[in-house]
Amino acid sequence: MGLQTNGLSLEIVGREISGRPVPGKPRRPAGPYLLGLPALVLSCLLLVPIGVTVVAAFRTPAGFGFGNFAVMTDPGALRAVGNSLLWVLVAFGIVVIGFFLALLSYRLPAVTTFLQPALVIPFAVSVLVSGATFRLLFDPTPERGTVTAVWTWLFGTSPVWLGPGLFWLVLVSAFGWTWLGYVVSLFRAGLDAIPDDVTRTLTAEGVRGWRRLRALEIPLLRPITGVVTLTVVIAAVRVFDLILIVVPGSMQRSADVLGLNWWRATTSGDDPGRTAALGVVLFAIVAAVGLIGVRGLRRRRWAMPVTVVRPDPSLGRPKPRRSVRRFGWLVGLAVALVWIFPAVVLVITALHSPAEAGVRGWWSASGLGFSSFAAAANVGLFRALLSTLIIASAATAVLLVIAVPTAYLVAWGGLPMRVGRTVMAVFVVLAVTPVQMYAAPLRDAIDAAGLAGSRIALALVHAAAGLPFAVLLLRSAFASAPPALVSEALQGPVRQSAVLATVQRTYRPALIAVAVLEFALVWNDFIVGFLISGPGTTPLSLVLWGEARQFSASSGPVAAAAVVASIVPVVLMLSFWRTVVRGLTTGSRP
Amino acid sequence: MPSSRRAFLGAAGALLLTGCSSDVLGLRRAVRVAVSWSGQELRAFHKVLDGLGTLEYPVEVVPLGDDISTAFGARSTRRPDIVMLPQPGLVPRHLDDLEPMPDDLAPLGRARLWDELLTHNGTTYGVPFKTAHKSAVWYRPSVFEQAGVQPPRLWSEWLTVNRTLTQAGITPLSLAAGDGWVLTDFLENVLLGIAPSVYVGLAAATDPRPSRQPQFGAALRLLGTMWSAPGALAGGVKESLVQQFPDALIEVFGHRRAAMVLASDFAEPVVRSFAADPDDIGLFTFPPMSPGAAAPVVVGGDVMVLPKPTRDDARDLVRRLSAPAAADPWIKEGGFLVDGRVSGYTPELTRLAMQLTKPGEQLQFDLSDQLGRLGDINGLWRVLTDFLVQVGGRGAAVVPGAVDDAINELRTVEES
Repeated sequence: MGLQTNGLSLEIVGREISGRPVPGKPRRPAGPYLLGLPALVLSCLLLVPIGVTVVAAFRTPAGFGFGNFAVMTDPGALRAVGNSLLWVLVAFGIVVIGFFLALLSYRLPAVTTFLQPALVIPFAVSVLVSGATFRLLFDPTPERGTVTAVWTWLFGTSPVWLGPGLFWLVLVSAFGWTWLGYVVSLFRAGLDAIPDDVTRTLTAEGVRGWRRLRALEIPLLRPITGVVTLTVVIAAVRVFDLILIVVPGSMQRSADVLGLNWWRATTSGDDPGRTAALGVVLFAIVAAVGLIGVRGLRRRRWAMPVTVVRPDPSLGRPKPRRSVRRFGWLVGLAVALVWIFPAVVLVITALHSPAEAGVRGWWSASGLGFSSFAAAANVGLFRALLSTLIIASAATAVLLVIAVPTAYLVAWGGLPMRVGRTVMAVFVVLAVTPVQMYAAPLRDAIDAAGLAGSRIALALVHAAAGLPFAVLLLRSAFASAPPALVSEALQGPVRQSAVLATVQRTYRPALIAVAVLEFALVWNDFIVGFLISGPGTTPLSLVLWGEARQFSASSGPVAAAAVVASIVPVVLMLSFWRTVVRGLTTGSRP
Repeated sequence: MPSSRRAFLGAAGALLLTGCSSDVLGLRRAVRVAVSWSGQELRAFHKVLDGLGTLEYPVEVVPLGDDISTAFGARSTRRPDIVMLPQPGLVPRHLDDLEPMPDDLAPLGRARLWDELLTHNGTTYGVPFKTAHKSAVWYRPSVFEQAGVQPPRLWSEWLTVNRTLTQAGITPLSLAAGDGWVLTDFLENVLLGIAPSVYVGLAAATDPRPSRQPQFGAALRLLGTMWSAPGALAGGVKESLVQQFPDALIEVFGHRRAAMVLASDFAEPVVRSFAADPDDIGLFTFPPMSPGAAAPVVVGGDVMVLPKPTRDDARDLVRRLSAPAAADPWIKEGGFLVDGRVSGYTPELTRLAMQLTKPGEQLQFDLSDQLGRLGDINGLWRVLTDFLVQVGGRGAAVVPGAVDDAINELRTVEES
């Protein structure tokens, strides 16, 4: 039976009880467990190498112990740890700034009209590309570097932006440019989901400013804060290719981070036990941050009730005055223009000939054309793009096929409480595991199996690495609409459109979010492909190793390659961004 | 629209299938060539490969930049089939990882100078592909005329030229300190100029200890004298540190902010493509350190080596690449010298090629390559970068202290 009133639709589904009640525990059928089998097999691709690394870290010639961790007394490693921790701080800073920007955009209506796409583009491109973009912007010569040129014009002289100490500014700008859009979008989605009556009540009670923030926004956004902090911090600790492309060789050792230090140690043939110990330290830092982040998530249930019925638009937030709207619109436009500026610089640089781009900045009017693209194509860019397309598609397909049943099992498969919790904990830990923990043993195994260089093996590794996050995300989406409800809705006597709408609104965005994010992640990946199958396979590694040795002289081809490599993820993200944000936030709505 | 969706999926599947040729899937073994080149050099090498005609196997070029020595590390991934090693000095250290060259190619590795590095106990482990002359100074003749100076024929004259230029308001030197090998090349030229026997001794030693050689300190002192002159370096130390090798060339010929730059023959394409005035390009070779001494010539190059185990396809590619005409497309691009060949280059490069083949010259291979770990990014590169930071533009008074610090730092690296 159904009931509809005031835009609220209630549907009650009943069924007669048949048979008599039986005492005892319900039988748990074993069938659903089979759903988790593929995930288990795939996860072993990570779990076994991680185990090998941990054992290697603690095994010394004299037996098991902490001997290998003496590597941490090495001043280089210490500096790397310090820098990695500094990156964690940077991540927290970006989360805080992003929160206030989201708040600002929420209070100031119409800001997001232009801002949204401007914020999404940097998130869609890889960190390597944004690193290259900012290195172009901060080039030390006033003829090429935009910032140096403006500074020289204003003050007569300019600091050497890529010089000692100052390169941090360039690194942090590039990192922030990439991630701030993601942070703001997610917070904004959370703010939009705050019920209006709560806001109105608080306003009526005269709660404002800092008190209102503490009473309303901060507690209600806590689950989203958890997701956001987790992703940004993990990205910060994994910073690797960004440093390789931004920091000039003479200063790279002062910018060293744990991931880089580990890589240099493995390539220079250091004792594997010591490099494994470095990996374990990196892992410990990330895992600590991850667990704290997840604690924030656990405060609330992951699966939040989802608004079943679209709220009556007349009950929404009052429409602001026209002048306010226009002001917000202008502010949004201005911020969007500033935010999109680096991307514009990249594209225009790519449209200059290599000789022109190497000598003069993007504002120069001569030498326009496509010769830089031709130069970039010359070094095998398209072959690498095709191979990346295959790897990314295969990884996404495998991931979806395996993650959906697993998430279903975890959400509704009737796992005993304890098993369910353990599985979730393992997935959280796997989601934050840095690639250094499994790269070395995995690549040895792949080499030994004669699969070195196989794109399929690489795609499987990518799928395995993406699996934990996908399952976490899908689980919370699935949990918000029970399968019984769905089948009732589909097969019941009355088609229950409201329930189906719920399913549509939760399952689909989550699935799309998983697919789009995985595809973009694999497409933009540098480190997994580089550490597992060596350099030269991905377009980005071609850009880095093929051009970075002569960065500014190859500005044109570097920019062209970066633009070509970014088109696919940018288009994908721009078309699906709203759905992705909805998918990311379904499970963590207040 | 189920039908259109099905059509789309079908098309996508067909596209994927055609794209999944075994080559792209990585199933068919391509011959992987690891190179350190980037930018224009990399493109020129691709032209060389294209010029070889159709091959029976795909060739994959893997640019490794300055990390080329990782190509045959013990745990390297996807070990390349051919390494274009830019540090021939590394060959003797990796004999166990390398396959001997086939008999028909072996004589190429026994050419003058190369045989010391490439041949061991009668077996040849590499053949030269590209020769580099690392004692060339590119300059702008117009500013030399403006200041009334000539290219120096002695080290002391060079210092005078620098002083005269500075007084005329022209910055004499541009230095690519962002690339450590540029700094080591500078030092090697000075050391080879003042003490060839010490240079040879260090290159041959199994456990080289440069910090114990007083001549090494003397070379540092001389170098410090040039670098410490106020206003000698374009942009000062800070900008030098962020300059990569082509940036320093652009600084001289593109932005015209300095008069000269120590660079190799392979600087030529960069100089020519970025020069604001294509006729204002000059070249002199590193002058002798004292009257009567021979001018130092530091030689580098890229040698082709075959990591173990090798395949017939890789041997075939080496054979094709070492054919006399193989490098012609690159020679046409400029900045390429073939061992023993003196014709077919631009006038500047011909002069360098002549010096490389002239008997009686003080020719030696790059020292830093032969020092092992001591000569790389954590050794001499770092020591010289710190040395430059200490002395650059600060006047001669700081040099002795900086030399002591550099020697101490070097000793720490030696002992670790």
